[in-house]
Amino acid sequence: MAEELLEIVDASPEAVMDFFDDRGWGDGLPLVPPTLERVEAMLAACGGTDPDEVLAVLPPRFGRCTRRMVAVNAVLAGCRPAVMPVLVTAVRALGRPELNLRGVNATTHPVAPLLIVHGEIADRAGFNGGLGAFGPGNRANATTGRAVRLLLLHLAGARPGPGDASTQGQPAKYSYCVAENLAASPWESYPRSLGIDAPSAITVHCGENPHNFHDMETDRPGPILDKAASVMATLGVNNAPIGQGEYFIGLGPEHAATIASHRWTRRDVQSYLYERARLPAGLYRKQFGSLAWLPWMHEVPDDHLMPATGHPDHVKVFVVGGAGKHSCVIPSWGMTKSVTLAVAP
Amino acid sequence: MSIQIYAPDGEVGAAPVHLAPSPAVLTNLRIGVLDNAKPNARLLMVRTAEQIAARTGARLTLVTDKGHGGNAATACTPEVLARLAEEVDLVLTGSAD
Repeated sequence: MAEELLEIVDASPEAVMDFFDDRGWGDGLPLVPPTLERVEAMLAACGGTDPDEVLAVLPPRFGRCTRRMVAVNAVLAGCRPAVMPVLVTAVRALGRPELNLRGVNATTHPVAPLLIVHGEIADRAGFNGGLGAFGPGNRANATTGRAVRLLLLHLAGARPGPGDASTQGQPAKYSYCVAENLAASPWESYPRSLGIDAPSAITVHCGENPHNFHDMETDRPGPILDKAASVMATLGVNNAPIGQGEYFIGLGPEHAATIASHRWTRRDVQSYLYERARLPAGLYRKQFGSLAWLPWMHEVPDDHLMPATGHPDHVKVFVVGGAGKHSCVIPSWGMTKSVTLAVAP
Repeated sequence: MSIQIYAPDGEVGAAPVHLAPSPAVLTNLRIGVLDNAKPNARLLMVRTAEQIAARTGARLTLVTDKGHGGNAATACTPEVLARLAEEVDLVLTGSAD
């Protein structure tokens, strides 16, 4: 263990905030001091695993992220120990090359990692996948998402300016965590749809904020999903000039139930959105001087209806939320792929 | 009452990368442009390189993209990096908008 121990003479909440603020640490909100006792309590939730194993090296600062550092930042964020396996697995996901964390942290786009919690641990640790899942009001969602951001600030060095060039930032950079509402889903869990057969899993998707869409009238899948397609195929999303990014579709339970009542599978939803979320290729060419398209996209004529993304597999469908006729599209930054992993402490 | 806490940032896992020192004189040196695929980046950097060349006696000898459709969010390919290292003495590139 080589982590630095520091002495805070005045442990009042105000003095603790000033202590971290003076050193350029924290996210601007109150912090819980990561004392040795609190950190040990966090690590006790990791089942006797090595606290100093390096889980990932996080760019652009290249901080070595161990379970101990995860625990330190989990304490700072106000987490309960039960969420530690989720955070440890999330760090592994952040370290995967296809996620492109260097780009995620360095871009001027306001991308933030969305952490989705699946399966048994979501219930056991108190995550909310139901009404108001994106917040506020649930401690597990709020503090776990916040701990991810603190890890990025402290280990990855993703501070606005030297390590995070986001032009405007965005609220999801404070905390961005939900659970999948499997109890209200008409389909198998999202990880199982990818072939991950584990009691608990997490997904990290580096994306924009949720873009809401609503349909309060129809009893058919088409009109609901046409609205999702409209949100996907807009010129404003970062994926517009990239054309190969992922879109997470967070269907509210009532929309999902309507769609499934017509015997539509998750795959049907993906295929429908791939076919419907389109704009003329010429419009993209007119609007963007630089297009990071797949090679075949450059060959089609201007009147070809270009899909918002290059393959139905890039459309990711999960159920989240409670009563009501609202759903959302969460476009990715574009130059990143989501990562889903079985939870392991 | 004082308390003891952990610092939240831990160790750095890789040595910081330092930029190569800039050449003191550009006369007769070869300039390369690494296009990051941002809109107008190539135009801006080529014009800049041409003006540097005109003022210093350097030469613009290589303009390249990052290879394999690379852009500002990705590194250039090892082949492009090797070619730059072999064929030019300084490189103009960019990473943002």
